[in-house]
Amino acid sequence: MLTISKVSKSFPGVKALSDVHLEVKAGEIHALVGENGAGKSTLTRIIAGVHQPDEGTIEFDGEIVHWASPAAAKAAGIHVIYQEFVLFPNLTVAENIFLGHERRGFMNGIDHSRTRQDAADLLGRLGVKIDPDALVAELSVADQQMVEIAKALVHKVKLLILDEPTAVIAGHEVELLFGRLRALRDDGVAIIYISHRLEEIFELCDRVTVLKDGQFVATEQVEAMTNDSLVSLMVGRDMSELFPPKAPVGQTRPVVLSATDVSVKGRVHNANIELRAGEITALSGMVGAGRTELAMALFGGLPMSSGQIAIGGETFRKMTPSLAIEKGIGLLTEDRKGQGLAMLMDVATNISASDLNSVSKSGWLNHSAEQDIAKSEIENYRIACRGPQGAVLTMSGGNQQKVLVARWARTSKKVIIMDEPTRGVDVGAKAEIYRIMRELAAKGLAVLMISSEMPEVIGLADRVFVMREGVITGELGAGQIDEQRIIQLATQKRAS
Amino acid sequence: MTSVASIFTFLTKRRGGLLTVIGLIFVLTLFGVIVSDKFGTYSNAVNILEQSTPLAIVSLGQTLVIITGGIDLSIGSMVSLASVLLSGLTAGDPVMMYVAIVTILVLGGLVGIINAGASIYLRVHPLIVTLGTGAILQGITLLYTQTPIGKMPKGFDELAYGRVLGLPLGAVFTIVVFVVTAVFLRKVPLGRYIYATGDDAVGAQLMGLPRRKVLFVAYGFCGMMAAVASIFLVARLGAGQPYTGQNFTLTSITPVVVGGTLLSGGRGGVIGTLMGVYLVSLLNNLLNFLSLSTHYQLIVQGLIVIIAVSVYVENKRKV
Repeated sequence: MLTISKVSKSFPGVKALSDVHLEVKAGEIHALVGENGAGKSTLTRIIAGVHQPDEGTIEFDGEIVHWASPAAAKAAGIHVIYQEFVLFPNLTVAENIFLGHERRGFMNGIDHSRTRQDAADLLGRLGVKIDPDALVAELSVADQQMVEIAKALVHKVKLLILDEPTAVIAGHEVELLFGRLRALRDDGVAIIYISHRLEEIFELCDRVTVLKDGQFVATEQVEAMTNDSLVSLMVGRDMSELFPPKAPVGQTRPVVLSATDVSVKGRVHNANIELRAGEITALSGMVGAGRTELAMALFGGLPMSSGQIAIGGETFRKMTPSLAIEKGIGLLTEDRKGQGLAMLMDVATNISASDLNSVSKSGWLNHSAEQDIAKSEIENYRIACRGPQGAVLTMSGGNQQKVLVARWARTSKKVIIMDEPTRGVDVGAKAEIYRIMRELAAKGLAVLMISSEMPEVIGLADRVFVMREGVITGELGAGQIDEQRIIQLATQKRAS
Repeated sequence: MTSVASIFTFLTKRRGGLLTVIGLIFVLTLFGVIVSDKFGTYSNAVNILEQSTPLAIVSLGQTLVIITGGIDLSIGSMVSLASVLLSGLTAGDPVMMYVAIVTILVLGGLVGIINAGASIYLRVHPLIVTLGTGAILQGITLLYTQTPIGKMPKGFDELAYGRVLGLPLGAVFTIVVFVVTAVFLRKVPLGRYIYATGDDAVGAQLMGLPRRKVLFVAYGFCGMMAAVASIFLVARLGAGQPYTGQNFTLTSITPVVVGGTLLSGGRGGVIGTLMGVYLVSLLNNLLNFLSLSTHYQLIVQGLIVIIAVSVYVENKRKV
């Protein structure tokens, strides 16, 4: 159905794919796996016509194709369900399903009752109960995904690509999804299934292709693989080498920050959490469980609707970022580019940004002091750059992250919060960031990490709080942190 | 499907703001009747409708642009240019009048298309593009004339003061174009793509929706509506004046946001805008009755825009 050979793609400063092969047959579910930054998303977007390859050929349904646009790929029968859904929150479910393929009626105008009826039929075929007239903004994430799948059923889909479909759903919904995908496969649809959860690949997929650092590693029959052999293909080395040793067990470490009954309107409900000096604490759970919102509330980035935060003997009912910084809390956001770094400015400016007082004299910036500090931090964190005046924009994700760590470690004397610290970072840089996080903890800081990557949580954290739908469903200490417990807490129904 | 029930759900659930606006219109009317015995008369109602025609038409165009997530700040200057061209080219000649009307309609559409094109291909935010074209258009207007210019043939003022079934001609025209546009937005796929583009421009692109076409249509329509509005203005004033459209830039946005169209795009509609137009016109009329200077109208308008936007922003966060 689809044969990709020798495809390469570069973006300014990054070689996203080089010489990649992929062959997907009609009637198979083909897993595409690899670490973050391995090139899965770029490949998906090339197949979908969003990007055009620099080199190589794409053969679809027996013909060499050059998609000029997503519309062309779609017209040929390719449907992609992206990790970030392509849904329009202000349109209704039915309107979303038939967007671009409106049901026509009188004088070729949009037929609203047929749109509604057909949408209800499609949703019925999926076995879900969703009101076709509801606004998509009002739906749960799982229901939104079902709407995405219903969209694929509108067309005669030949190749369906799903990017991390189970990152946002759980339990029964996953089973429903798998059943639907198997039925589609048996109808002769080719399916590319991208997932980080290896157990799903063993359960669902026929063959698997592994990518690493933008390069093709292997295509194998799933039956012929084991969990370990797949991981070693993906990572290129043993997982355990990535993580530094954990904090010693059996010592009681002082609590630096404790949050009591903290709520964020509609997002977090009465969360209690304690962060201890010298420990790495992880907030785990599904995307959308309220982890980022809770962290933001601790930092004052989102208003608390109830509860209080105690830091070193002082209690606060209201928190603001400037107060948090003053009290020694730092936050590295998930979105490095949007909310963290000034991309066009140099390394020195970015490092000193949160603490301009230390590089100023009577209100004037002292540039040479700023440069000196940058130089020592560059050395300290082994940041690969062209010196203090190197532009942040051209640096790799891992080094950008180190710049942010350097910045916040300067002002954060008590707590440093890191939201998805290794997102979009290659494996080597990951190991570096883990080491730095452990060093920060060893210096006596409480490190709070939000991570969607299970191995990271298990390999790094000394303590884990798991959230589901805005509620903290459990706390796991040393010796209790394993995949099964975390998943159970992340997916269990609220006990009420 | 019971349409009464669905209209009710639509009003209460999806466009709750509309009920508030209608409620405010009612309250203002009541207040007006109490403070002045001339307010509640038939002739005053007709007067309000007559005065609101150009604003309604300009706001209609602005609504489409705002739903796409953009804005058109060149609209006031476009009205000025179109009105001086209309009466200047016509110069009292009934034949030239038709030439002039076609000219300004085409010009209005063209300016809109240029606005859209510049924001698409030069990747400049529409705010800046239209601020720029607005200045250019005002400059051209002033190069053409600095005083009222030309005149219209006899009987042209029928457009402003004529009646259909006892209603002002302009008001009937307004209702017709609003209904046609509402049907377009609801029944024609391109209308829905206007919402989709404003809701999530990147998503619209990923889905292969015709984003450029959407923008060309919305801005082109907006420019053309500015020209139509100038026809009614000239009919009322007798001749085009180089600053006649000046206030329309802000005042065309007010009814749109009052009517519940989100400035960020993706949600709203023209019926809300029409209600917004009537609310604003009613308010201005009421301020006249209270013998307040027209300068107060400007102050009140400014306040309304800010309040309306803040109200709907809050609504959006709840969703």
